[in-house]
Amino acid sequence: MSLLKTFKNGIINENPVFVQLLGMCPTLAVTTTATDGMGMGLATTSVLIGSNLVISLLRKVIPDKIRIPAFVVIIASFVTLIDMFMHAYAISLYNSLGLFIPLIVVNCLILGRAESFASKNKPVQSIFDGLGMGLGFTLALTILGIVREVLGVGSVFGIQLFGAAFKPAIVMILPPGAFLALGVLIGTLNWFKNKKAKNA
Amino acid sequence: MREVIKLGSILLLITAIAASVLAFSNSMTEGVIKDVEAAASNEARKEVLPQADNFNSIEEDKLSDIQQQNNKILEVYEGFAGEELVGYTIKTATPGYGGNVEVITGISVEGKITGIKVVKHQETPGLGANATGTDFQAQYIGKPVEKEVVVVKTAPTEDNEIQALTGATISSKAVTNGVNIARELFNSMLSK
Amino acid sequence: MEFVVILISAILVNNFVLSRFLGICPFLGVSKQVETALGMGMAVTFVMTLSSIITYIIHHLVLVNLKIEYLQTIAFILVIAALVQFVEMFVKKASPSLYQALGVYLPLITTNCAVLGLAILNIQEEYTLLKTITHAVGASLGFTLAIVLFAGIRERLALADVPESLRGFPIALITAGLMAIAFLGFTGLV
Repeated sequence: MSLLKTFKNGIINENPVFVQLLGMCPTLAVTTTATDGMGMGLATTSVLIGSNLVISLLRKVIPDKIRIPAFVVIIASFVTLIDMFMHAYAISLYNSLGLFIPLIVVNCLILGRAESFASKNKPVQSIFDGLGMGLGFTLALTILGIVREVLGVGSVFGIQLFGAAFKPAIVMILPPGAFLALGVLIGTLNWFKNKKAKNA
Repeated sequence: MREVIKLGSILLLITAIAASVLAFSNSMTEGVIKDVEAAASNEARKEVLPQADNFNSIEEDKLSDIQQQNNKILEVYEGFAGEELVGYTIKTATPGYGGNVEVITGISVEGKITGIKVVKHQETPGLGANATGTDFQAQYIGKPVEKEVVVVKTAPTEDNEIQALTGATISSKAVTNGVNIARELFNSMLSK
Repeated sequence: MEFVVILISAILVNNFVLSRFLGICPFLGVSKQVETALGMGMAVTFVMTLSSIITYIIHHLVLVNLKIEYLQTIAFILVIAALVQFVEMFVKKASPSLYQALGVYLPLITTNCAVLGLAILNIQEEYTLLKTITHAVGASLGFTLAIVLFAGIRERLALADVPESLRGFPIALITAGLMAIAFLGFTGLV
């Protein structure tokens, strides 16, 4: 598979959230605003690129039997690195993502890519796979963040969109809003897909 | 058995390398994180007591005495403008709707509230969380410490009244309780 | 009194699944039947309580004493993975019937973020050992309650006439959203 195709595959065809339904916890939890969603997506992308690269480099060294614990250690190290750097250089984002930064470790997307891609492919391809999947994840989180922020607060990336007359639907930035928004979004995507399939 | 030892040592090696990389980056970021955190709390203190330019925590014995009487008080700082004591900042934690609401209250030596800031809370986004808004917090500025601050639902008519946030009376009361605790502490111990 | 508050808060107000978004994967994945959902809930309860105790001890005896708190994430995830493995082996030997019931769910629990999330939350909240255990029991009961209720709804939903595009995952999410609205009613309870 060409690099570009690997890249595009992660963003569109096999979008981690909308198609593969992976990494649901952060997807639902930190998308109250577009900024948080995007921040979480980018943090996950950095971890994914790092862990994919290292696991791909070590794929011949790590014995098959202990590959899962070895992967977990590598992923956890990258997560801790990101945790430290965000704490030092992006304190406000760090505070709003909170618990979900260390929980990147258990995002099934990352272990999934390690197991199904990085441990079988060359380093450069693995980086592109990480980049594609990571950006696909970021895209999904940002879209969900935008939808919830527009409906729930009436702003995008903190910029007010409507006048004072707009009464935001607060439920959208509360926990139920996350489930409802994602359900409706995936439903809409399915509707488009079904329509396309029928026309074809 | 030999295989177990081999696998174990490979895993140990990976973990050891990971730990040393992290130890290194920890030593790099540790200082920065401390500075950022300290700057953030100093910034908050300055916001509620703008006259002061440097802050010192009160003595530990005195603080633990205070906390024994009221465990809702977390921190008490003296604020100085140069050498002169100009006021205090008092951090309190009072129960709100979704958990404790932490508020820093600034009180000048003349006995006026100079500002308040909600620094930590788990209130409902869009309702109680609006307590962090400047409009709400500005209401407390200039209130005298002699009178208890009370929350009302309509536009305030007395000088010790605060208008509650729409749909979030409990959060508004939590903030006000914190301010009142700070006020009482000032009246009973600090003003002398 | 404090313990009751922690317990009620973990079960209802800050329900791990519906308000904190921890453990969504098993919540959506293993909730098609009430019986399997109950099995998953029991397995999670078991692992969450044990892992909370062990991570508490490791954090306070090892990480804090050696001043290596920054290794928390790695240490905790390894403890949880090892614990799950150990529990699986132990249950297999000690009680084959329990293993039959829980067996399939055990390996899935390692990547259940509720377990790691709970361990980290316990440390963040500076709970004592007893409060940690109370919180763990509450959190896992909350998880079990949510997943069993959800499975009950989904069993009925399977017979309903759902628009084609919403079938499967989307309608499950919307259902979960409605449940979350119901659970919102508990906020302010404690």
